[in-house]
Formats: sequence, structure tokens, C-alpha cells
Amino acid sequence: MKKTLTVNLGGTVFHIDEDAYQLLDKYLSNLRIHFRKEEGSEEIMNDFEMRISELLSERVRLGYEVITLENVEEVIKRMGKPEDLFDNEHEESQEEAKSHIFQEGEVQGGKKRLMRDPDDYILGGVAGGIAAYMGWDTTTVRLFMILLLFVPYAPVVLLYIILWLVMPQARTAADKLIMRGKSVTLENIGKTVTDGFEKVSNNVNDYMSSDKPRSTLQKLADLFVTVIGFLLKFLAILVGIILLPILLLIVFVLIVMMFALFVGGTGILYHLSPFGMDLYSGVPVPLAIMGCIGIILLIGIPVFALAFAICGQLFKLRQLPEPARWTLIILWVISLILCIVYFYQTGINGWSCLHWQHLFDI
Amino acid sequence: MNAENVKSQMRKGTLEYCILLLLRKEPAYTSDIIQKLQEAKLIVVEGTLYPLLTRLKNSELLSYQWIESTQGPPRKYYQLTPKGEEFLGELEISWQELNDTINHIRNN
Repeated sequence: MKKTLTVNLGGTVFHIDEDAYQLLDKYLSNLRIHFRKEEGSEEIMNDFEMRISELLSERVRLGYEVITLENVEEVIKRMGKPEDLFDNEHEESQEEAKSHIFQEGEVQGGKKRLMRDPDDYILGGVAGGIAAYMGWDTTTVRLFMILLLFVPYAPVVLLYIILWLVMPQARTAADKLIMRGKSVTLENIGKTVTDGFEKVSNNVNDYMSSDKPRSTLQKLADLFVTVIGFLLKFLAILVGIILLPILLLIVFVLIVMMFALFVGGTGILYHLSPFGMDLYSGVPVPLAIMGCIGIILLIGIPVFALAFAICGQLFKLRQLPEPARWTLIILWVISLILCIVYFYQTGINGWSCLHWQHLFDI
Repeated sequence: MNAENVKSQMRKGTLEYCILLLLRKEPAYTSDIIQKLQEAKLIVVEGTLYPLLTRLKNSELLSYQWIESTQGPPRKYYQLTPKGEEFLGELEISWQELNDTINHIRNN
């Protein structure tokens, strides 16, 4: 006896065995990932679904009520195994690459992202993620982290928690490939999915074999790690909740300052900014305004980014869009330059003068 | 460099041309196109064709309409656009040239 599911495929209803459904679902989502960059990918997928539905309907017309695993395998064979399609597409994309080198560069360029690895974790998968990103061994990263714990004034725990909050988890096979910097191709996805299956079966075996010979000490260690993991997770969420309003407040204050600067002009500088003093010591007004804006952005942008990342983790928001992120980064670099210029200029006019006078006094 | 690879490259190079040729005579359902191409051993699996048809449609060489079917849901019925006919004309010429070149080389 087998459990069946009811699916709507290309507008027709089918009863399908659970295992057959899983195979078909995997096949279709592999295709979808493969075609996602193509113009009209929705249409291509619809064509595939329509055709599969047509082929399966023939089965039903012959009097078979339920779609079995063999039927789906047959259909996939007829439509083309992902590898067959991939071969074709791959060669075509190479041909295209000659004419659109820039576009292909973006697509195939194997962009890496720092993500937490859900397959390789003790606490949050941060070490695993870093290892995957840098191409290092996970154990090395962990040992390094533990070593850092004993270095005074190195906020490893805080850093770990922040990383845990900020790094997204690599949930899908595509995510895991991006995490390792491999390009998302059908072949790679296939590999990852099969690897995943191996992992699952391994885990089952591990579980079965590890049932007996687990010593009390090991059990205690397991328990210890689980408890610590839980506590850290709790702490991470707590820190996130506490940090969030503060960060938002800072962003708010900085925005208000910026606004006041534009509206109130230089008069307000005396009251709001620590650099108001500079006006006394003869720094030109445009330079002082420049310095203020520079400082506000220099602090404000990272704070805003951190607050946004925490928000995203807590409320499952989407990430900032790419252009916005680049704008922020560029703004930050500009503000950094502004600050350097400012301090260089005032350093000559203001601070160092004072400093020298002090020296003379002594 | 193996023979299979070169052969499949050759087939692939003519695939668009063959699809346009098939549709010049009369509009056809996707499944008909597939059947004819499989008979001619131009494609092995059906999946190759769907992205190709969509690409041809997006470059406005083909258009399609939905035609009701007696069995099952409506199906796509592909036909050549004027732009597609023009394109086919160019391909004809270059095919002829290629053919001449190869014959010329073979006979010498």
C-alpha cells in the first residue's frame, strides 16, 4: 500500500504516488533553477509541465488511475535527464559567452556569499560558513575561534553572536553552492542534492550504530553542547532585541542631525556638533559642514546596516536590494574620504596648533 | 575531440533551420514538431526543444496561438512570422553556400 497525492499539473488533476511526486518535484525544480536566468523561463516551465501532463494523461486514458514512480522515470527519460539538457545548454551558453562576455561573466562568475552552513554546525554553523567561504577546514576555523577566546580584549563571543545574527542560513541547494562560490548550474545542483541524500542516509546509519556504544561521558558532552547551544541562541536573540532599539535610535538621531544641519545651517552646529568648536578656531564653514556630514555618515551607515541585518533576521525581511547596498557602500567611502580631508585640514589649523601651544607652555 | 561531439554539434547547428523549415509548410503543434525532429534524429530528448521554441518566439521569428484540443487542455500551435520567413530566407542562402563549399571540397 502506498500513499498518494493529488497534483495539478498543467491544468489536469493527477493522483500520484508519494515517491513519484518527489522525483517529479525534484526534476521540475532542477529545471526551474536551470532556466531561471533565461528570458521567458516561466513559459518554458509551463511548456514542460504541459507536455508532462500530456504524457501522463495518456497513461490515465489507458486505465491506470495512479501515476507511479516508473511512469515518472519514463517521462523524465523522454523529456531528457537534466544532464542531457545541461550539456546542450552549456555549449550554447559558451557560444553566447563569446558575444556577451560581460553578461556571462556576471552569471557564471561564481559569486560567493558568507552564509551559515546548516550541514556543518555545532552552534549556529558560523564556523562552517566561514570555512566554506574561505575554502578552509572547518576544524581549523573552530580551533582558531577557541584560541581567540583566550586572547584578552578580543570580543569573540559578541562577534560570534553578531555573525550568527547577520549571516543568513544557506537553506536551499542553490544557497549552498553560492556559499562555496560555485556557480549555480544544474550539474552542481544535482551533485549537492545527491550529497544531501548521502548525508541523510549516513546520519541514519550513524544514529543506528551510535545507539549502543555511547559512553556516559560522551552523552554528558552532547548534553552540554546542546544546552550551551540553546543558551547561546537565546542570548543571540536577546542581544538582537536589546540592540535593535538602540541602533534604530542612533540612526534616528543621526538623521535628525543631518536634517538640522541642512535646515538650520551653521548656527546649529554650535549646539549639536562637537566640531562647533572648530568654528571658533577659524575653520571655514563649508569645511565644518563637510566634516559633520562625513562623521554622521561614517558612523550612521554601518549602524544602519547592522540594524537592518538584525531586523531582517528577527522579522524574516528581505535583504536590501543590490543597488541600495552599493549606494551605501559608496556613500560610506565618500564620507570616509570627507572625514580624512576634514581631519587633515583641521589638524593643521586647529588641533595641532593647540597641541603645540601646550607643548610650549610646558 | 570525439566524433559524437562533432556530430551533435552539427545537428545542433541545423536545428533552428530545421524547425523553421518544418513550420514553413504549415503551422504545427509542439508535439508534432518534436515527433518530426525525432524521426529525423535531430533531437534525442524533448526537453531540448521547449527553451529553443521560446527563444525563437522571443526573437519574434515564431508566434503561437492556443488551439482547443479534443483530448485534454488547449495546445500551442506554432507558426512562422514574416520576420521568421525573412530569417529563413537568409538561412537558406547560407545553407546553400555551405552545401556548395562542402561539395566543392569533397569533389576535389
